Amino acid sequence: MLAALRFTPGQLRGVLVLVAALILGAGITGMTAIIAKSAVIEETTSQSGRLSVAALSLYQALSQADATAASSYLTAGTPSDEMNETYREAMRDATVALATAAGEVKTPADTALVAELNARMPVYTGLVETARTFNRLGEPVGATYQEQASTLMREEMLPKAHDLQENSLGQLNDSRAEAAAFPWVAAGLAVAALGTLVWAQMWLSRKTNRVFNLGLVGSTVLLVGFAGWLATASLASASHTNTSHEDGSAPLELLAEAEITAQQARAEESLLLIARGEDQAAADRFEEHFKALTDPGKLLDRLDEAFADDAELSANIDTAREAAETWRAGHDEVVKLAQSGQYTDAVVLVVGEGGGEDAPSLWTSFTTLNNALTEATDVSAERFAEATNDAQRSLSGAAAGLAALALGALISAAVGIQLRVAEYYA
Amino acid sequence: MIRNQLRLAAAAAACLVLAACSQPADMGPPQVDVPTPLPSGIDFSPEIETEPVDESCTPLASYNPGTTSVEQAIAGLDNQDQITIGVSQSTNLMGYIDPETNTPAGFDIDIATAIAHSILGPDATIRWVPMTSGEREEAVNSDRVDMVVRTMTMNCKRWANVEFSAEYFHAGQRLLVPTASGITGLADLADDHRVCTGDGSTSVRTIAEQSAAQAVTVPDFNDCLVLLQQGTVDAITSDDTILAGMAAQDPTLEVVGEAFSQEPYGMAFQKGNTDLARYVNGALAQIIANGTWQTAYNKWLEGPLGVPGVPPTPQYRD
Repeated sequence: MLAALRFTPGQLRGVLVLVAALILGAGITGMTAIIAKSAVIEETTSQSGRLSVAALSLYQALSQADATAASSYLTAGTPSDEMNETYREAMRDATVALATAAGEVKTPADTALVAELNARMPVYTGLVETARTFNRLGEPVGATYQEQASTLMREEMLPKAHDLQENSLGQLNDSRAEAAAFPWVAAGLAVAALGTLVWAQMWLSRKTNRVFNLGLVGSTVLLVGFAGWLATASLASASHTNTSHEDGSAPLELLAEAEITAQQARAEESLLLIARGEDQAAADRFEEHFKALTDPGKLLDRLDEAFADDAELSANIDTAREAAETWRAGHDEVVKLAQSGQYTDAVVLVVGEGGGEDAPSLWTSFTTLNNALTEATDVSAERFAEATNDAQRSLSGAAAGLAALALGALISAAVGIQLRVAEYYA
Repeated sequence: MIRNQLRLAAAAAACLVLAACSQPADMGPPQVDVPTPLPSGIDFSPEIETEPVDESCTPLASYNPGTTSVEQAIAGLDNQDQITIGVSQSTNLMGYIDPETNTPAGFDIDIATAIAHSILGPDATIRWVPMTSGEREEAVNSDRVDMVVRTMTMNCKRWANVEFSAEYFHAGQRLLVPTASGITGLADLADDHRVCTGDGSTSVRTIAEQSAAQAVTVPDFNDCLVLLQQGTVDAITSDDTILAGMAAQDPTLEVVGEAFSQEPYGMAFQKGNTDLARYVNGALAQIIANGTWQTAYNKWLEGPLGVPGVPPTPQYRD
């Protein structure tokens, strides 16, 4: 075997084996890398994507339900149709999201979180309905049930929903990093194969005094095509994946956080009145949430920054900021009214319909704020989906194409070398 | 035997080769504790105060109305056109917001209204200021309110910080239990019974000293009623007025046993504002004499407490 390499035909065959091995290696690793990438991107739009969307909407729906349940308690047993509808929709969204999440969880920790949340759902709704019934009967103990429901939500359910969301986003980010990774092994093998081909041609032209070997030239061209396609497809998909993160999921997370913070502030505001102005802790928590929303450098500012070059989205954030300012001023008025014993006026200001645009109630301000954030969320979600589709499209056909090119290069090289070998036996 | 070992070895080798022998995820149902909703700040083993009770004064003795005029009383108000009164808005039957009308109502409210009318006339502007029991002494002394009428027990410790009126209601600590529980008094409480009460109240100490039961405290005593309805605690102890307000909301509960503490309620004023205290004492004697007191008692407390009301006899120190 080694002896054969001392003669030119043997050396030629040796070169062929080496080139074939490198091309095969590059082809197979390149193809599998692209297929794996596709699968991972597929997963971000399906499994872990669906889980994080479900976890996010669960978190939002729960906090929306809490805010509305607390507000509607203040309407003395006769909440407006709009409030009733909002609460029922939020509970439906929460249960649907929980069921979806239950089908998508992969880790024991997430399974446990979903189970814990599921176990608390009926307890929460039970407390809310008991509160409403006592409220209708005119029994003040209803207020305590409503507070207990909110405590369960605030101290147990929302933190668990948040954990689930964090976990799913973590998994999504891992997948994203994987999808954006460059296929170094395939690229390395392709470069090595190219190098070997070029060297083989120089060696052959010295040996045979012929400048070109058509087979090897063809193989080189095909392999250059292979390397180019591999690089472009990988880089393009990575860039789209990053776009989907920057334009889509990152602002989505920020928007959701803002929405949930506003809803929590709203819940605390209602609790303050449910406790008849005797719950300083609720007042403190309201301040905390509001600061997290509107303080310089906090959520609204960060959203402004994220959407700086997007007129549509920044208009939504401007609306949200305006509504937050009106709400804030109204809230201070409510606290003043409640502390000076004008309880009825305070309640009307918090949950009433308001007097149109000039004199919005806190309920209308809060709803405006919430709706503006929801609209921005819808736009962001669309962009996320678009970018993910682009990432997938840039990979479409790449696996098959790369396989064809590698195969072509292999055959071309084999034919080229085999023709030379044949000359020695002619 | 050897064949088995070979099989094991082969299996292990296969595992290494496949590197896919990660344990299948534990797919058994997750362990979830039964969710028990609890109020924030609940304490299942509160510390019991042991400091001796201050008995250096006669807590019931207030100021003799004498000839104090209504002008002197009005001069003692923070704003002469209105009277601000600190009340509870969450103590059913005593001072609470009626959920149907969203206005303050209750025995304390009726007494306070009668006093306000006596000072500023029947068209008096009354501002009700809701407050927790912890805020009461600070509120009268910081001019947040002119007076506090909020189930406030007169004792020597509080006399050091505020002026009290004469006693306007005589309450006592009792027990609220489910009728079906068979508990009829302190003696029936065993060490596996949990008894709920508000934290920072004197009720914690009394129940701990006088019964075997385990005290449980919550920041707001209203949480006790929910905990009793949910079966988390076996009984509630507090002033009978407060317990009556809870019993009125649930026909399966009843107030039982003899009172095991004395809780004389007084109205509180800023320390040093004795003119207002004196005038209010005169007004109190009047509303007791003219039947206003009796009407308020019959309206709010007679049914739930189950005993006819006897107005307290005012005691004066001078």
